Amino acid sequence: MKKYALYPGCVMPTEQYAYEMSIRETLPLLDIELVDLKGFSCCGEPIKSINQMLTLTLSARNLAIAEKEGLDVFTPCPMCHLALSDAKQILDSDPKMFDRVNKFLEDEGLKYTGSASIVHTLDLLHDIVGIDTIKEKAKKPLKDLKVATHYGCHLIRPSECGRPDDSENPQKMEKILEAIGAKPLYYPEKLDCCGGLLTANLPESALTKTGQKLQKVQEQGFDAFVDVCPWCHRQYDSKQTKAGETVAAKLEVPVFYLSQLLGLSFGISKDRLGFDLNLSPVDKINLGGKKNEQ
Amino acid sequence: MSITDLTSMGEPQAALRNEINDRLCKLQDEISDYCFQCAKCTSGCEAHKLLELEPHKMVALLKRGLIDEMVNSDIIWTCMSCFKCRERCPQKVAPVDVLFALKNMAVASGKQIPGNYTAMLQSVLSIGLLQDIKSVPTSENKSKNRLELGLPEISKPVDPTKFQMMLSKIAVEKV
Repeated sequence: MKKYALYPGCVMPTEQYAYEMSIRETLPLLDIELVDLKGFSCCGEPIKSINQMLTLTLSARNLAIAEKEGLDVFTPCPMCHLALSDAKQILDSDPKMFDRVNKFLEDEGLKYTGSASIVHTLDLLHDIVGIDTIKEKAKKPLKDLKVATHYGCHLIRPSECGRPDDSENPQKMEKILEAIGAKPLYYPEKLDCCGGLLTANLPESALTKTGQKLQKVQEQGFDAFVDVCPWCHRQYDSKQTKAGETVAAKLEVPVFYLSQLLGLSFGISKDRLGFDLNLSPVDKINLGGKKNEQ
Repeated sequence: MSITDLTSMGEPQAALRNEINDRLCKLQDEISDYCFQCAKCTSGCEAHKLLELEPHKMVALLKRGLIDEMVNSDIIWTCMSCFKCRERCPQKVAPVDVLFALKNMAVASGKQIPGNYTAMLQSVLSIGLLQDIKSVPTSENKSKNRLELGLPEISKPVDPTKFQMMLSKIAVEKV
């Protein structure tokens, strides 16, 4: 059993509960132990536009908390994953910055050393757990569900920071979905951004980006849309109706977290995977199992 | 310790501005020289079609030293930081990083911070997170929060005073 400190970030633990629930349900079945630690804060990436030094220090601080316990870090949020990976790369290669940031951390009795590695849901499932194990556990495979995958920009770029999948042709989510019986198909808009980061200052434009992509997905006849980012999911699922209004379309695309579909294929009940928190029409497709089945 | 200290919205903070200025000068000297205006960044820019951001032009303006003009423009706040420009540049120029530096400069110069950024920063300062725990609607129009869903208590800074002290050091640090 491999142990990780669960670094939840901000958006998942304060509103995207379905992601957290489905992760906590599925990963232990794959011999991954998640350890909850006290004291984490924001990774700083969403406020990088305000002050980059703040982002770097906040990320180093969170890594230091996990390092203190001798644990590697698992973060389900691509934005956190990028902030932490970026901080690690800067601090491990720049001794001056290393000293400067550690001086900030002294007050809280923390020290960044660089000992922890960082994983996201995607590389944890694909590289560490492995496709074969996932295939074995998938007792109730999804039958030929035609899915569109969405990776999220921060998960695959910039590749110089060491990202979990390829920047132009990411395939790990496809492989995981195939292993649980789904049928991921290519579509030209696959790498388009959800616009989520614009929510802070240009919320209408953010929704337009979301709506434009979902409209194309709907037109191409996909059964479902799958993501692995709480920011993207908030756009595509929680705000789908509003996003549809910005492009004058009635959007009815069922949107799932990868971990929700994974859990379902392992035989976990829908309510334990937070299916009633998806606001997109997820009941439109028959995935088996009654909604409130225990 | 307040948001004003951290963003220098009160009195312009010389040290912070000098540091960002150094960063911009470095980008100007080392990076913008490599750019040969192929506009590959702009052709893939997520904010281009919708909001008319043209990353290759930002690099050209930087090369000519028109930093104040860009800092004062709203266009720098249209970047969605998708990192496609940085990824695809054949010359390893990173317009997205130029934009981050320009936005940092705008904030450090006491320009008004757009939209919700102030609230987000304020929340990080007070509770360590971007936002507090929310109750969310279910598909059956009920309202649920973390605890009702059986999730454990949220992780946030144990000693807010010490956490704020750490952040305030970033604000007043002499470079």
